[in-house]
Amino acid sequence: MATNRSGAAQRPNGAPQTKVCQFKLVLLGESAVGKSSLVLRFVKGQFHEYQESTIGAAFLTQTVCLDDITVKFEIWDTAGQERYHSLAPMYYRGAQAAIVVYDITNQDTFGRAKNWVKELQRQASPSIVIALAGNKSDLAAKRMVEFEEAQAYADENGLLFMETSAKTAMNVNDIFLAIANKLPKSESGGGGGGGGAGAGARRLNDGDAPRASSCCK
Amino acid sequence: MYIENEEDYKFAACTYFARNHPGETCGSNGLPLTPSSVTILSRAQRLLNIEHPNLCTYLDVIRGKHERIIVVAEVIGKSLKEITSKFTYQEITNIGRQLANGLNFLHDQNITHRTLADDNILLDNNGRVKLFNFGMYYMTGSGEEVSFPLGLPKYLSPETILKGGGPAADVWSFGIILLELCIGKLWHNLKPGPILRRILTLVHANNPAERIAREHDCLDTYKEVPENLRNIIEMCLKIYPSERATFATLVDKLSQIDDKELVTVKAERGLMGCKLQYLYHWWQLAGGDIQAELKKNCLIKNTPPILSMPIAILLDGCTIGGKTGALYDRRIAKYSLDLLKIRLNHIPPHDYYPLMHERKKEYDAVLLPKIIRERDTEYQFYRLLLFQRLLHGYPFTAPYIRAEAEIDIPPLVRGDVWAALLGVVGDIQDQYERIDKETPTPTDRQIDVDIPRCHQYCWLLSGADGHRALKRLLKAWLLTNPQYVYWQGLDSLTAPFLYLNFCNEARAFACLSAFVPKFLHKFFLKDNSFVIKEYLAKFWQMTAFHEPELATHLHEINFVPELFAIPWFLTMFSHVFPLHKIVHLWDALLVEGPALPLFMGVGILRQLRDTLLESGFNECILLFSDLPEIDIGECVKESIAMCRSSPRSISYRRFTNEAELKDPMDVVEIPMETLFTEICPRINLSDFFSLICQNKCCVIDIRSNLLYEKSCIEGSINVPFSGVQLGHVSQRALGLPAQQALQNAARQAHTVVVAGHANDDSARLFSEYLVKCAVARVCILHGGIPALQANVPSLFVTPPKKN
Repeated sequence: MATNRSGAAQRPNGAPQTKVCQFKLVLLGESAVGKSSLVLRFVKGQFHEYQESTIGAAFLTQTVCLDDITVKFEIWDTAGQERYHSLAPMYYRGAQAAIVVYDITNQDTFGRAKNWVKELQRQASPSIVIALAGNKSDLAAKRMVEFEEAQAYADENGLLFMETSAKTAMNVNDIFLAIANKLPKSESGGGGGGGGAGAGARRLNDGDAPRASSCCK
Repeated sequence: MYIENEEDYKFAACTYFARNHPGETCGSNGLPLTPSSVTILSRAQRLLNIEHPNLCTYLDVIRGKHERIIVVAEVIGKSLKEITSKFTYQEITNIGRQLANGLNFLHDQNITHRTLADDNILLDNNGRVKLFNFGMYYMTGSGEEVSFPLGLPKYLSPETILKGGGPAADVWSFGIILLELCIGKLWHNLKPGPILRRILTLVHANNPAERIAREHDCLDTYKEVPENLRNIIEMCLKIYPSERATFATLVDKLSQIDDKELVTVKAERGLMGCKLQYLYHWWQLAGGDIQAELKKNCLIKNTPPILSMPIAILLDGCTIGGKTGALYDRRIAKYSLDLLKIRLNHIPPHDYYPLMHERKKEYDAVLLPKIIRERDTEYQFYRLLLFQRLLHGYPFTAPYIRAEAEIDIPPLVRGDVWAALLGVVGDIQDQYERIDKETPTPTDRQIDVDIPRCHQYCWLLSGADGHRALKRLLKAWLLTNPQYVYWQGLDSLTAPFLYLNFCNEARAFACLSAFVPKFLHKFFLKDNSFVIKEYLAKFWQMTAFHEPELATHLHEINFVPELFAIPWFLTMFSHVFPLHKIVHLWDALLVEGPALPLFMGVGILRQLRDTLLESGFNECILLFSDLPEIDIGECVKESIAMCRSSPRSISYRRFTNEAELKDPMDVVEIPMETLFTEICPRINLSDFFSLICQNKCCVIDIRSNLLYEKSCIEGSINVPFSGVQLGHVSQRALGLPAQQALQNAARQAHTVVVAGHANDDSARLFSEYLVKCAVARVCILHGGIPALQANVPSLFVTPPKKN
């Protein structure tokens, strides 16, 4: 199982039996924990030391190949500042997966991550797959959040958990792959019918979406 | 005094290497350390603003390859080192007085020279004395940022050699200079080590000056020096820094000996009378190249890189072996302005003194893109001289400045012009100083994490000085605007002002404080959702007005501006584009006013139009997450054209700080909920009336046939709404007269005004229908026919009966 970087190479040409599933994924977390950097590393394989802050949100896509299916992530990278909180529901509504990111060198960001998890559990789709990412693991010397503490919290809440580093690329592809594996691929076939928040919502304002896409084609 | 043909050199460059951080070490935040060269450059910005008759004005500090720093500054005449002839005591006193003047000024500015030496004291044949590169110690952070020692050994004070000392060290060096002028060069042909030892042995001397003279077998010569001058030398050459005189005292004492006017040089006229900064700028535009000249003079030597490879690298990043070039070269390369003189040879003398009121000559260059105009020597010559005049007369010349800024703004004075356009006046320095920028606040964390990623490609903003200044500005603004809070993006918004006013924080602050109410009124409220929503709705309406086809497509794929345009408007594009593009956008913004940004948004969409039209939702949003190259010049041109051709009232917003409109002819305000449902903007009666008078609109009356025939606006076309099939999207479905009128309107870029009843949905639905039919410039008459009948009954006629 591997991810390909370049967009063109990912689509197995002339393999009609391969299912393509689209999933909406949202990144949440305090500002400057490295959400945009994680996405950039995952989507383009790049890392910018001075990644600019995200205002509103950014959107990117990336495809990963599992054994028999291709998973296309539609990634919403959100603004971290608390003030932009009111925009967040617009992005996590209808998302099938979320990565909640914190910075292992900053305890406050972990607290904020917990709040995001709570909010997702309360407000987002009940079947949402949530992953917790402790980013900046390259700065382990300045660690303030213990691995065990985060792991215990993740286990309690049924979250996927990894410590990642967008700078060194550690665990970045892995966490997206783990999410891809955990996402329910079979039931999503029904997404075409309802077009509700649970599955296959490729649009943001899904309320009146007249042609809500099916998840698997 | 020495007389020689005055040389034509106006400025000179010298070069050195900044310290290299060993290995690739990261700071505590995980970000790479700021390179020393960047720190030096940002510190040096302050020096660029220092002007004093006895100091050589700094013109530029450049970062070369491999942490090389190149310093460019004014030069005059020759250095004391080069002058071999003896000076009379009167001349020495005069030189001393000018030196002390310059140094006194520096100390007032809290700048220590520390590297005073005979080769950086320049003297011309008018007797003027100026200090060259006096800021070496300052710009290198007391020598922290370079790995070579600063200063020539023989001018160092004892405490400096012992790694201590403050500004008083300059007094010692000054004393040595005077002594040298009186008794000849000291410690000639000695190596640095022995010189330093000699200086340290002076510690035991009662009178170091005499002791030095004795060492050089010049005691007799020394005794011949007039007593008052000798006293001054001895006041400087005290072992204990605290016992040395200050420059303020020295200036006093020296003026008592020599109370003549300091040298006055008749101001030059013509090209050489222009500001040195301008001359340097034009020289560069004319093709002058500092680095090329340095290479020619062998101050920059290129050695094969293989030679500089270290033999071994330790794990901590320290290197062993490998040839590195000299870290600091005391030589300077002088530059003449011949290049520029030839280039501007043909300019008649009176053009050097432009008159504000005179209609200036038309330059061909005006037709070229701004980026090219900014690189045109002659064009910038005329523009700078004109702007210099205009700015000199500010605030009285404000209207002239605005009119000229509409054409373009010379980059060299952009900071001044922006401040003028924003109406910055008064004692801004004092106001800024009074604001508490230090006390910690809860917002600090957010500011701290945002600043190190705000426009960091710009070295000015990436250094520690830049970070601190940006933080002070943000804190000052938040403190003076308690009704507002810090929204991410405010950092980007502040950056252009800091970039243009790096050494004038107060002005950067005054500009920001004037900019926000004008362009971003209420945007930074804690709850700004209504303000933003209204802005985006207006932006969407403007898109429908000017780009109906695109608007229809985006509406169909449910692609709303909330998804991509918030950073555009919240930061006035400063979060979206790099600084060199923002300055051109804002040049236009400041002249045109607060409606322009809406049209700039449309201008960007227009440039991406073809791609957007053939893209679905995902492709569209991807496009904006990774915005393709936008031609800013084109965008500005288009947006200004759109802005000026749009009736003012269609871009009306409630959340501005402009006066509320009371006159029923002017009002165009509708409840927010209604605004969000309307794709087409509303036009007020005044604008409508003037369009009618200029015969620039096509009026479609959608009332019933019956009402229309009773009384209608002259020249209007009746398309009864009840007969329109909204599902049938085609202009042809409206009937031939309407179709022809719309085609005619499109050809002549007339505005299409939909006039209906006052309070029903028909006008909204019909205008939407027109947009879907790709009709441009559609708007709704606010208040409809009834309002018009009430206010301007004269417009109505009874239409001729059709048979």
